[in-house]
Amino acid sequence: MSSTDFLVFYVCVLAVILACRCVPLLALGGRALSPRVSEALGLIPPAAFAALVANDLFDPATAPNVPALLAAGVVVLVARRTGSLIWCALVGMGAFALLELAL
Amino acid sequence: MRAPSADDLREGVTAALPVMMGYVAIGVPCGVMAAEVGLSPAVAFLLSATFYSGAGQFMMASLALAGTPVLSMVASVALVSTRQLLYSAALSPYVSDAPRPLAALFAATVTDESFGVNMDRFAGDGAWSTERATVVNAASMLSWAAANALGALVGPALAIPTAIMSFAMTAIFICLLAGQRWTRVTAVVAATSAAAVVALKLLGSGSLSVLLGAVAGVLAGLVAGAVGREGGDAR
Repeated sequence: MSSTDFLVFYVCVLAVILACRCVPLLALGGRALSPRVSEALGLIPPAAFAALVANDLFDPATAPNVPALLAAGVVVLVARRTGSLIWCALVGMGAFALLELAL
Repeated sequence: MRAPSADDLREGVTAALPVMMGYVAIGVPCGVMAAEVGLSPAVAFLLSATFYSGAGQFMMASLALAGTPVLSMVASVALVSTRQLLYSAALSPYVSDAPRPLAALFAATVTDESFGVNMDRFAGDGAWSTERATVVNAASMLSWAAANALGALVGPALAIPTAIMSFAMTAIFICLLAGQRWTRVTAVVAATSAAAVVALKLLGSGSLSVLLGAVAGVLAGLVAGAVGREGGDAR
């Protein structure tokens, strides 16, 4: 990644991140969103996360990544039990590393 | 805007401590990946303190290592950040009386974890203030940025395989997905998004698959919600 590419990436993403974080809070001032807008916004997280998980775990061009799929199953169990991002990340990395060695 | 009192600092840091410890644990591998992309410890600190997004930063590193075009990287990382819209909207009623600069600082430093901590406190602790909530955010942010800088500094010495570190990001997404409020509509959204991503990758859409797959999921969810309401099933 060149310095120019990094700068473009940094400025663009920072602008989006700050807008997403600040605009609703400052613009709403405590007012409620309309039901339709709330519904659409509420669907973004599951849609985005499911898309990201599928993108990471499934590549139609290659054979199924069995260690990754099994480790993902372990992470689901940890997520349901603890709800902790940190535990999920640490257990996920550990499970994936062990399964890569074992399989 | 008043400076936080000693009580605000103590209460805020105490509430943030579990988050800070977790951020150190996961920030170091994130910094290691940043070093692999070529970022110095100082730049890793700056990036972490301003982006302040574990998922976004892990994604940035893995996409950069894969040679993804910069515009696709921007779109993908921006997509991950859109959930902050919801957090921001949800927190708005609790900080409506705060001075605008403080509210802006608080809003700019919200993460998944600090959102959870502060929502719990705002809902259950009458003394919880925007000042204390901002201390939670700032303390967590500093621990995250410092851990990233440390990871970038010692990165080559740790030599953790990239695939294993990248899986931390996948695990974070799985956790965030599993933590959603699961209804029939949520299942439709998730299944459609995942299926659309796989189909789009088969068609050669590359990194745009995530964005387009998520849009397909949202649209499917809106349709499923409307059909459910017509049929008298709001869930």
